[in-house]
Amino acid sequence: MLELARLTKRYKQLYAVKGLNMFIEKGEIVGLLGPNGAGKSTAISMLSSLIEPTEGDVRFHGKSILKSPGELRKVTGIVPQEIALYPELSAEENLQFFGRIYQLKGKQLKQRIEEVLELIGLQEKRKEVVKKFSGGMKRRLNIGVALLHQPSLLIMDEPTVGIDPQSRSYILETVKRLNEEKGMTVLYTSHYMEEVEFLCDRIYIMDKGNLIAAGTKEEIKQILTSETTVLIKVEQLNEKFVQRLQAEPSIHQVSTGENEVTVIVPKEIPVFKLILNIAEHTDIELLSIEMKATTLEDVFLHLTGRALRD
Amino acid sequence: MNGVLFAKIKLFIRTPWTFVIMTAMTILFTLILGTSNPATFQVPVYSLDNSLEDSLIYKALQDNKFIQFQWRSMESTKQKVKKGKAELGVELSANDFKILVGVNSPKVSIVEHTLQEIYMDKLKQEKMLKGIKDKKTRIELKEQLEDIAAHAVFHIQTMEFKGEEDFIYNNLFQRVFGFTLFFVIYTIAYNVFHILIEKRDGIWDRIILSPIKRWEMYTGNLVYSFVAGYLQIIIVFLIFHFIVGIEFNASLWKLLLVMIPYVFAIVALTILITALVKTVQQFNAIIPMLSVSMAMVGGAFWPIELVQSKPLLMIADLIPITYGMELLNGIAIYNYSLEQLFSPLSILLLMGVGMTGIAIHFMERRYI
Ligand SMILES: Nc1ncnc2c1ncn2[C@@H]1O[C@H](COP(=O)(O)OP(=O)(O)OP(=O)(O)O)[C@@H](O)[C@H]1O
Ligand SMILES: [Mg+2]
Repeated sequence: MLELARLTKRYKQLYAVKGLNMFIEKGEIVGLLGPNGAGKSTAISMLSSLIEPTEGDVRFHGKSILKSPGELRKVTGIVPQEIALYPELSAEENLQFFGRIYQLKGKQLKQRIEEVLELIGLQEKRKEVVKKFSGGMKRRLNIGVALLHQPSLLIMDEPTVGIDPQSRSYILETVKRLNEEKGMTVLYTSHYMEEVEFLCDRIYIMDKGNLIAAGTKEEIKQILTSETTVLIKVEQLNEKFVQRLQAEPSIHQVSTGENEVTVIVPKEIPVFKLILNIAEHTDIELLSIEMKATTLEDVFLHLTGRALRD
Repeated sequence: MNGVLFAKIKLFIRTPWTFVIMTAMTILFTLILGTSNPATFQVPVYSLDNSLEDSLIYKALQDNKFIQFQWRSMESTKQKVKKGKAELGVELSANDFKILVGVNSPKVSIVEHTLQEIYMDKLKQEKMLKGIKDKKTRIELKEQLEDIAAHAVFHIQTMEFKGEEDFIYNNLFQRVFGFTLFFVIYTIAYNVFHILIEKRDGIWDRIILSPIKRWEMYTGNLVYSFVAGYLQIIIVFLIFHFIVGIEFNASLWKLLLVMIPYVFAIVALTILITALVKTVQQFNAIIPMLSVSMAMVGGAFWPIELVQSKPLLMIADLIPITYGMELLNGIAIYNYSLEQLFSPLSILLLMGVGMTGIAIHFMERRYI
């Protein structure tokens, strides 16, 4: 349905997005993952026809959107990363405004506003001005606005940033429902692995403008089949322990948390023995050593050497 | 377009403060500064030549409405200037004058200019008289001229000599018109300002991606800002006319009519600024600077006729306020017809169209 070919955006010396190839089929939920500054929002701006790519093309049903973005715009709903609403207007007035610019009128507009308010759970708050809303309510309305004209493609740019767990799971459930019940195609951008794991069929991972992995959840986890992630919990972490782990040639990645360390090691290494040995030499009291199931987070760590969120 | 207007009107009702404050300021400033006597100032003057006291020069000085020349002795004039009681003093001779400057202020050039004109007139008259050989006619003409001067028609007579340089100064109108044109810039600017906020908040992007036509979006914004600015002028003029009781010497509708191109030009100018600045902060810094300097150069704070510097006058030609003042004064003071005001009217319209075009060009650049 939507196809990105060598899509590139350059700002002076900086490649915000570099040679991005990607496709989205009808009815899918596709995840776009990446840490801050990866180029996710820039990619979305290009594929939604808002800004012009420096190079490359975006094709919608085989036709380039660069010359005629009209078709795509008509059926696309965009949820921008920042809240794009009039803070001085009420929830209902905001919906009225955006409904009108999407050429909804009269009865039809009224009905859509009702449906959307119900969907995002803001019926009670319809008359309240947006600036008095909580973060979660603003986020939900921000999504609601994009749904007014019943788009068949929904593009969401980090729609759950900075909100409470209830609102977040509400949003995730809503997206899932829209996909299952209405067959809505969704491109979901996030830097939360859990969300993407929960929602998406296929995933693209970006870092520093480059695509570093792509495929289904399983395919991506395959990247790590030859390696194991091990979580080590300790009584009191010390510097020496971490240094020894890092110095050990068979250990690939070391990342530390509060009194815990995650390492990635090749499968064939006798990992327990190795860690016990190091702990003994560095006066570390071990609490547990745990082999973890591979997560996308681990894949990301493996690919970039950095945690997804810092 | 209706959708855009709808949101703007709702926003206007929610936050009408700029509008209300600017309307109130216009009225307040005018009432405080405008109804007092014309802003005159006094200049001590003396002459070592006693015959000057009943010359044309003396009369011309007396007739000047803007500067009050006060006859003093040489001693007292010099003392005043020395002690700072007067910013400047003047010594007159038959064909020449000297200005004693205590503090260098704009008044010096105003006085200098005024005196120059008076002496020039005198010279012209003398030349004219010399040109006539016949002694009898010469005396007659001289008498005639003096007679004219005595009957204070002198002013009209000199208009032919000085042409455009002469002007009628009406302090009350100056304030009413000046402050109206000045404060309405803020009202318009802070309505156009919504565009910047919309851009910053991403609402503009949403609008761009909607099926709404680009021209509808721009027209909606233009129309809204225009109406807000124009409404303010209507309210201000109505209050001045019906409540304060100012006689504008002309039908109110004519004054209001010529404000249409002015408001349009200001809307276009502020939209252009919106297109050129990058942030809300820049806009907030530029607008006051621009509006105050435009008001100063364009003659909203004092008559443009007092501005002498050539470069400043050239800049004034580029400023909408100059033409706005010209239009309002033209109607209220000089009683010009609309045809006579064709040139400022069309210049304002052209400015409006031109700046709107450039603004849209810049705003569109970023998008597909
Ligand atoms: N208009 C611009 N001018 C210059 N640089 C830009 C511009 N927009 C984005 N960038 C740069 O491009 C890179 C990618 O930015 P982008 O906003 O696409 O990242 P992102 O993946 O959405 O990050 P985040 O998770 O923080 O939203 C960043 O380094 C950013 O500074
Ligand atoms: Mg982003």
